[in-house]
Amino acid sequence: MTTPGADPRPGPLEGLRVVEIGDRGEVAGKLLADAGADVIRVEPPSGARSRHIGPFVADRPDPNHSLSFHARNTSKRSVTLDLGTDTGRDLWRRLVGWSEVVIDSSGPGVLDALGAGYTTFADHVGFVWCSITPFGLTGPWRDWAAADLVNLALGGAMMSTGYEDHDLPPIRPDGEHTIAIANEYAVSGILSALWLRDGDGEGAGGGQLLDVSIHEAASTTTEGSFPNWEYFGRIVQRQTGRHASPDGTPPWQFLCTDGEYILLMGGGVPREKRILDALIEWIAETRPDLAQRLRDPAVEEVLYRDPRSRPDLRRMVSETIGEFVQSRPSQEIYRRGQSLHLPWGHVRRPEENLDDPHWADRGFFWEGEAPGHPTPVRYMGAPYRMTASPVRLRRRPPLLGEHNHEVYVGLLGVEAGSLAGLTKAGAI
Amino acid sequence: MTDAATPTAQPQAGLRPLPLQGIRVCDFSWIVAGPQATRILADLGAEVVKVENESYLDSMRIGLQSNSERPTYNGSGFHSNLSRNKLGVTANLHHPKGREVVERLIAQSDVVVENYSAGAFGRMGFSWERLQQLNPRIIYVSLSGYGHLGRDNSYVTWGPTAQAVSGCTQMSGMPDQPPAGWGFSYLDHTAGFYGAIAILMGLHHRRRTGEGQHIDISQIETGMVLCGIPVLDRQINGRDYVRIGNHSRYPAIAPHHTYRCRDDELSDRWVAIVAETDAQWRGLCEELGMAALASDARFATNEDRVRNQGALDAAITERTRDRDAAELMYALQARGVAAGLCQRTDDKMERDPQLRERGFYRTAPHAELGEHRFEGIPIAFERARWRMDRGAPLLGEDTFDVLTRVLDYSVEEVVELQTEAAV
Repeated sequence: MTTPGADPRPGPLEGLRVVEIGDRGEVAGKLLADAGADVIRVEPPSGARSRHIGPFVADRPDPNHSLSFHARNTSKRSVTLDLGTDTGRDLWRRLVGWSEVVIDSSGPGVLDALGAGYTTFADHVGFVWCSITPFGLTGPWRDWAAADLVNLALGGAMMSTGYEDHDLPPIRPDGEHTIAIANEYAVSGILSALWLRDGDGEGAGGGQLLDVSIHEAASTTTEGSFPNWEYFGRIVQRQTGRHASPDGTPPWQFLCTDGEYILLMGGGVPREKRILDALIEWIAETRPDLAQRLRDPAVEEVLYRDPRSRPDLRRMVSETIGEFVQSRPSQEIYRRGQSLHLPWGHVRRPEENLDDPHWADRGFFWEGEAPGHPTPVRYMGAPYRMTASPVRLRRRPPLLGEHNHEVYVGLLGVEAGSLAGLTKAGAI
Repeated sequence: MTDAATPTAQPQAGLRPLPLQGIRVCDFSWIVAGPQATRILADLGAEVVKVENESYLDSMRIGLQSNSERPTYNGSGFHSNLSRNKLGVTANLHHPKGREVVERLIAQSDVVVENYSAGAFGRMGFSWERLQQLNPRIIYVSLSGYGHLGRDNSYVTWGPTAQAVSGCTQMSGMPDQPPAGWGFSYLDHTAGFYGAIAILMGLHHRRRTGEGQHIDISQIETGMVLCGIPVLDRQINGRDYVRIGNHSRYPAIAPHHTYRCRDDELSDRWVAIVAETDAQWRGLCEELGMAALASDARFATNEDRVRNQGALDAAITERTRDRDAAELMYALQARGVAAGLCQRTDDKMERDPQLRERGFYRTAPHAELGEHRFEGIPIAFERARWRMDRGAPLLGEDTFDVLTRVLDYSVEEVVELQTEAAV
C-alpha cells in the first residue's frame, strides 16, 4: 500500500498552477492534482454540489463528510468565494491571475455573465482555460438542461447497453461516466495545449480556450456501433451483459454455483486449439458428458480452420462451455480459466478489489485520511504507474474553505485581519 | 461571450497549429485500447508510426470487412476509425535487418506504446532495459490487463473482462436482473483515454528533467478508478454495492429514468428524463398532460417522488408510450426539463444538429475504402486544431516514407529490405 509521502520524488506535473470551478470538472482537477499540480478548488461558501449528495460518513449529512466529494477531490486545496459579490469576483480574478490552467465547468456563459469568464482575462497571456459543458459552448443544444443520464442517452451508449428483453429499458451504468469521459479528454486537451505553449514552434508562449463537450465525449465512446452504421447502414441491438450486435450472439455471462456471475469473453470459445484441448480436459474432470460433445472432430474444423462454415456448431460450443461454468463456483472458473490464458473475469462488486492482493502488489490503493472517519481508508490510486515521476495522494480531500487563509493571505497577499470580515459578509 | 473568444473547430482551423506536432510515437499497439490512446495523439498532431507485420498484425484489420466476400488487410472501417491519421510501417522482426529498422525507429521516437500481454514485448526483444539502450530518453507505455507488476500479471483481458473484474459491470443494470454491463468495450476506450494522459504526463516530465520512463498501465485499474465512491462506502459505511437501474441514488432524484416511447421501424425508442427541481417537475407534468399527478400528494416533493418512484415511472410511461421520442425530447427541453433521446448511431450521424453544427463527424479519404466519415474528438481549440487527414494506413503504406525521411535509408536500401522481406 502506498501512503502519502512514500515516494517523495516530484510528480510529472509538479508545480503546475490550476484553479477549478464548477461541478463537472472534479475528475480533471483530481487527475492533475494527484500528478503534482497545485489544484485549488474554488467553491461557493455553501460548498460544491458533490459535498451535498452523499453517501455521507455514517450517513450523517455534512458538507465535509461526503464520499462523492472525497472520491474526486484528493490532493486539492479548497477555497470559498461568492462570485455574486465584488470581493468574491476580485479574489477570483486574482486566483486566475496566479494560475496557468483554469478548469471551468460552471456552464456556458455563466462566468461571463458575472464578468468573471475567459474574456475578462484578455491580457493574461499564456494560460489555458478549459471549459467543460454538457454540449459545448456553441450549437443549438448549448443551453439545454443536462444530466449524466441524458448525456449517456444522447451519446449512444445506452442504446447498446441493457438486456435482450427490449421491454426493459436501455441502461445507464452507474457512476457519472459521461463526466468522467469528458474529464479524461479535458486532461489530454490541457496537457496538449500546455505542450504547445511550452514549445518553440508556432503557438509557443500562448494560451487559449478549450471547449470540451460532454455530448461529444460520450458520442465518441461507443466502439462498434459507429462502423456498423457508417459502413453497413446497420444498427446494433442491445443484449444482456455483452456487446450489442446487429445479429444476435450467444451469451457471455453466466451464473455460477456460488451465486456469482462470470464473464466469458466472446462466449468463451478459446482462440487456439491447444487451449481448447486443455479446457476439454478440465471439463472432463466433472462433466465428461459435456467434454464428449466438444471432442467432435467437426468442432476443431469449424473453430480453427473454417470459422464461418457452421455458426450452429460454434453456438453449440459456446453453450456447452456455458453449461459447464454454471456447474462450478465462480472462483474456480475465473482462476483456472485465467491459468489457461482464457480472458474470463469474475463479475466483481467494486469493493471486492480491496481484498485482491494483486492490487496491493502494485501499490494501487492509496491510504489516507477521510474527513469524518476516525481511521485511514484506501482511496483508488492512479490508473498509471510512472516509474520516474510518481503519481500519488498528495493530501486528503480538503474541508470546505480549508485553505482560505493559506491561499488568500499566503498566495494572494490579502491582509490576514480582513478574512473574518469577508467570511461574515458572505464574500468567502 | 464574443465571437472572437468562442473557439470553433472550423472552418479557419486549417491555419492553426496541431498541438502535438513534432512528437513521434512508435506504436506497436493493436485491437482497441492501445490504438485508442495513440489515435488521440495522432488527431492532435503527433506522428504515430504504427509498426506491424503479417506475423504480428493488428487483428482489427480483419474484423468488420466492408466487402466480406473479398477480405483484405485494409478492408475494415472499424480499424480505419481507430487508426486514422497514423502512418503504417511493416517490419519483419524475424529478419535482422527488419529488427534494425524497428530499433532505428525507436531511437528516433519520443514514445513507444504496446498493449500486448505482460512480458510479450520483452520476449519480442524489447525489454525496458533494451529500450533504454536504444534511446535513453524514451517513454515506454505498456498497457496490459493486470499491469506488468503484480502476482497476476500473466492474466489476460479484453474490454469486457476488465469491466467485469473492475466492478464496472456490476454497477450497471436493474436490481432484479443480472448485471447489464456495457454493450461495448468501454474499458478499451477508457484505457486508451488514460493511456493518452499518461503519455502526455511522461512528455511533460521529460521536458523538465530530460528523463524518460516506463509507464505501466493496467486496463482493470482504469476501470477501478471509476468506482471510487462505492469502495469508500464499503470501507466507511460497510455497504456493499447494489444496482439501481437508471435511477439516481447519490443524489436521490426522481423522476430519473428512461421512458418507453413509440417504436420506429428500426428499434424500440426511449427518452431519458431527469426532473430535479420543482419547476422541472411541473414542466414535465404540463407537457405530458398529467395535471392530476402534479397535485398528487405522493409526488409533492422530490423526496416524495423518490419514495414513490415505481408508481411515478409507471404513470409517466403511460403518457410517453405513444409519443415520438425525439419530439418529446425537444418539447421537454423547451420547458427546461433535462431530456434526451436514447440515440442510435443513425440519430447521431444523420439527425443530431448539435454534432452537425460543431463538425464532430468529418470526412477523410482511405486508399481502399474511399471517403468516409470519422468520429471526432470532443475538444475545440481556440488557437490550435485537431485533424482528420486520412483513414488508417494500408498495411505498410508508409514504409518507404518513414524509412527514407525519418530513418535515413536510401531508396536502394529500402528496395533491398523489401526484396529480402525484411520490411
